[in-house]
Amino acid sequence: MADRRSRSRLRRSGHHNARAAAAQTELSVENRRKSLRSTLAKQRLAVFPDLRNGTPRLMLKRVVQNQPQVSPLAPQISSHEDTQEVHSEVPSKRVSSMGELQLPDVAPEGKSITVFHTTKKRRKLSISEFERAAERRLPQNQAPSTLDSTITARSFRMSVGSLLAPDTVEKRGLLRRPKTRKAVDLQVFEGKVEQNMLNSKGQNYLVDSQSISGIRTSILTSDAEMMMNTTELFVQPQLDEQNQNKFSALEPQQSDSKTTAQRSLISDGDQEEERLEGLVSDVRTNEGRTQRDSKSSSLHDEHVDRMTHISPETRAKQQEEKQDQSPQSNPMAQISFSEEEVAGTPEHGPSAGYSEHLEKKLAEKAELQITTAQDSRGETEMASSAAEELAEGSVGAHGSPGAEHKITNGIGAEGLDRNSHAFSSFDKRGMILLDETDEQGDELQDQAIMLDLNSSVEEPAQDEAEQPASGEASMKTPLFVRAPAKNLLLSMPHVEKVAAPRSPQQLLQPKTVPKRLGPPQRKPREPQIPGSLIKEIFRHFAKMPVTKEAFKIVEKCSERYFKQLSSDLEAYTHHAGRKTVEAADLEVLMRRQGLVTDKMPLNVLIERYLPLEYRKLLIPIACD
Amino acid sequence: MRSTAPRSTLRKIIKKHKPQLRLAANADLLVHLNFLLFLHRLAEEARTNAFENKSKIIKPEHTISAAKVILKKSRG
Repeated sequence: MADRRSRSRLRRSGHHNARAAAAQTELSVENRRKSLRSTLAKQRLAVFPDLRNGTPRLMLKRVVQNQPQVSPLAPQISSHEDTQEVHSEVPSKRVSSMGELQLPDVAPEGKSITVFHTTKKRRKLSISEFERAAERRLPQNQAPSTLDSTITARSFRMSVGSLLAPDTVEKRGLLRRPKTRKAVDLQVFEGKVEQNMLNSKGQNYLVDSQSISGIRTSILTSDAEMMMNTTELFVQPQLDEQNQNKFSALEPQQSDSKTTAQRSLISDGDQEEERLEGLVSDVRTNEGRTQRDSKSSSLHDEHVDRMTHISPETRAKQQEEKQDQSPQSNPMAQISFSEEEVAGTPEHGPSAGYSEHLEKKLAEKAELQITTAQDSRGETEMASSAAEELAEGSVGAHGSPGAEHKITNGIGAEGLDRNSHAFSSFDKRGMILLDETDEQGDELQDQAIMLDLNSSVEEPAQDEAEQPASGEASMKTPLFVRAPAKNLLLSMPHVEKVAAPRSPQQLLQPKTVPKRLGPPQRKPREPQIPGSLIKEIFRHFAKMPVTKEAFKIVEKCSERYFKQLSSDLEAYTHHAGRKTVEAADLEVLMRRQGLVTDKMPLNVLIERYLPLEYRKLLIPIACD
Repeated sequence: MRSTAPRSTLRKIIKKHKPQLRLAANADLLVHLNFLLFLHRLAEEARTNAFENKSKIIKPEHTISAAKVILKKSRG
C-alpha cells in the first residue's frame, strides 16, 4: 500500500524535481517499515511535507497567495480561492466515504489519493487541505484563519482600495469638472432685469439688450420684460401679464427698425432667427437699429450662413419656449431669442428676426399695433430695398403655412416703415402670396384684413382694445411684434424720434461693417498638434477605448505639456550659454523626467519609438 | 502609428511659447519623441486608473488624475 502510495505519489508528482521524488520514496520506504500509526503519522508527514515543501509548485502557490498583490487580477484571486474551496469540498466528501470503509491509515492516503486524482485541482485542493490540516493541527486557529483572513483581507483591501481610489479620482474629477451653471430663475432674473431697465430707462437699449443677450435661455422672458420696461417710461403699464407687456415693449422697438421689411425677406428656415433678430433690433436703441438696418440691408445676403446657423438654435429654443409657455409668451420668447440672436450676430440683421416674428406673432399681434405700425412706418428710413427684401421674404415664405402671417406682418411692417410705394408693392406681393396660402391669406389682402387677423389673434381682448387706443404710438411697431403692444405702442413715438437722427449713422455703418468682417473671418490659426494624431497615439498606447471627454482632457494636457517643455528647454539652453536648443538639452530634459536612465539610454528610446527615417537622422549610422 | 511627426507644427508651437528660442536641426524629432513618451506614460496611468475603477473604458476622471501625476513628473 505504501508502495502504491509512494508510486502514485511519484507518478503524480512527475512535475516535482528529483529531490522531492526521492524524498517521497524514502519516506514511503520508511512508512512501510513502521506501524500503521507511525505510517499514518509518517504519511501525514509525507503528505504534508509534500504539500508544504515537496512540491515547488505548491510552495510557489503559497508564496504567491501570501504575497500582497496589486494588480487588476485581484478579483481573480478571490475567485481562485473560491474555486479552491469548492474543489476541496468535493474530494473531502469522497475522502470521508472512503475513510469509512478503510482503515484510518488509509484515510489520509485516500485524501492524498483523492488529492492526486484531480491533477488540475490538486494544487488548489492540497492547499485548502493543508489549511484544514493546519487548522486541525495547530492549537491556535489563528494561523489558517489569519492566512485566510489575510488573503481575503488583502483582496478586500484591494477592492476597497480600488473603491477608494476611484472615489478620490471621481472626487477630484468632480472638483475639476466645470461647474454646471444653475438654471437661472426666470422670475428672479426678469425682476432684476426690470430693475436694470428701469434704472437705465431711455438710455442705450442696445447696451442692455447686449448684456442680456449674453445669457441665453434665461433671457427669453427677460428680454420681453426688458422691452416692456423700456416702454414703461412712455407707456402706462396697463398690462398685467408679462407677455403682454413684453409684446408691447417689443412692438415699438421692432417697428423702429427695418426689421419688418427684412422679416418677410427671410425664408422659412431663417424665419425664426430673423424674427428674433428683428425683435432684438427693436429692443435696441436707435443706434442698434441703424446698425441692424444697415447690416440687414447690406449684409443679410452675406450672413445667411450665420443666420441659418443661428436659426436652428433659435428655432430649438423657440420650440422649447413654445411648448413651455403659452402662445402669448411665445412671441416673448421669440422676441427674447431674437434679441439674443441679434446681440450675438449683429450682422444678421433684423430681417431674419422679422420674418420669424411675422410667422409667430401674426396670430398674436394686435391689429392696432400693425395698423399703427403701418402708419408710422412711413417715417422710418426704410429704404426701398427693404421693401424689396420684404417682398422677397414674403415670396419665400409663401410656401409655408405661416407665410400668411409673415406676409401680413411684412406688409404691415413695410407699410409702417417704408414708403408707401414700397408698401404697396409689397402689399401686392403679399396678396399674391396670400392667395396661395390658407384661408387666412385672404385676410391679408387688405390692411383691414390684417385688422381682422388681429381679431383672430389669440391675445386677450384687452390688448386689442388698448392697442387701438395707442395706435398712434405704435407707428413703428413692426408687424412681427404681435404681442399686445399697448406699452409698445405708446412708446413708439419716442422710439421713432430717436430713430430719426440715427439715419445718417446707419448710412455710415454699413460701409464699415463689411470691412470688419473680412479679417476676422479668417482667424490666424494657432499652431496645434492635430487632434487626430494625439488620439491615434493615445489610443495606441492605452489599448483601451477612450471617451471623447477624456480625449479632450488629453489634448489640454498636451498643450500644457508643451508649455512646460518649452520653458524647460529654454532654461537648459540658457544654462548652457546657448540660444539654440540642441539634442543634448533634450537629453538632459529626458533624464530629468526619468525617461532616460543609466539603464535606458537615449538611443534605445529612439530606436524603440521613432520610425526609421528619424532614427537614421538622429543616430548616425556608419555606412560604407 | 503615423509615419511622420508634425515637425513644423512642433516648431511653431515652441516658437509660439518662446519666440526667442531656436531649435537645432533634429531637435524637434527628440521633442516628438518626448511627446510620445509623455503620452505613453499618460495612457498607462489612465489605463491603470481605469482598471482600478474596474472600468473597461478610460473616462475623463481617470485621465484627469493621471494628468496631474504625469505632468508633475514631466516637469524636469
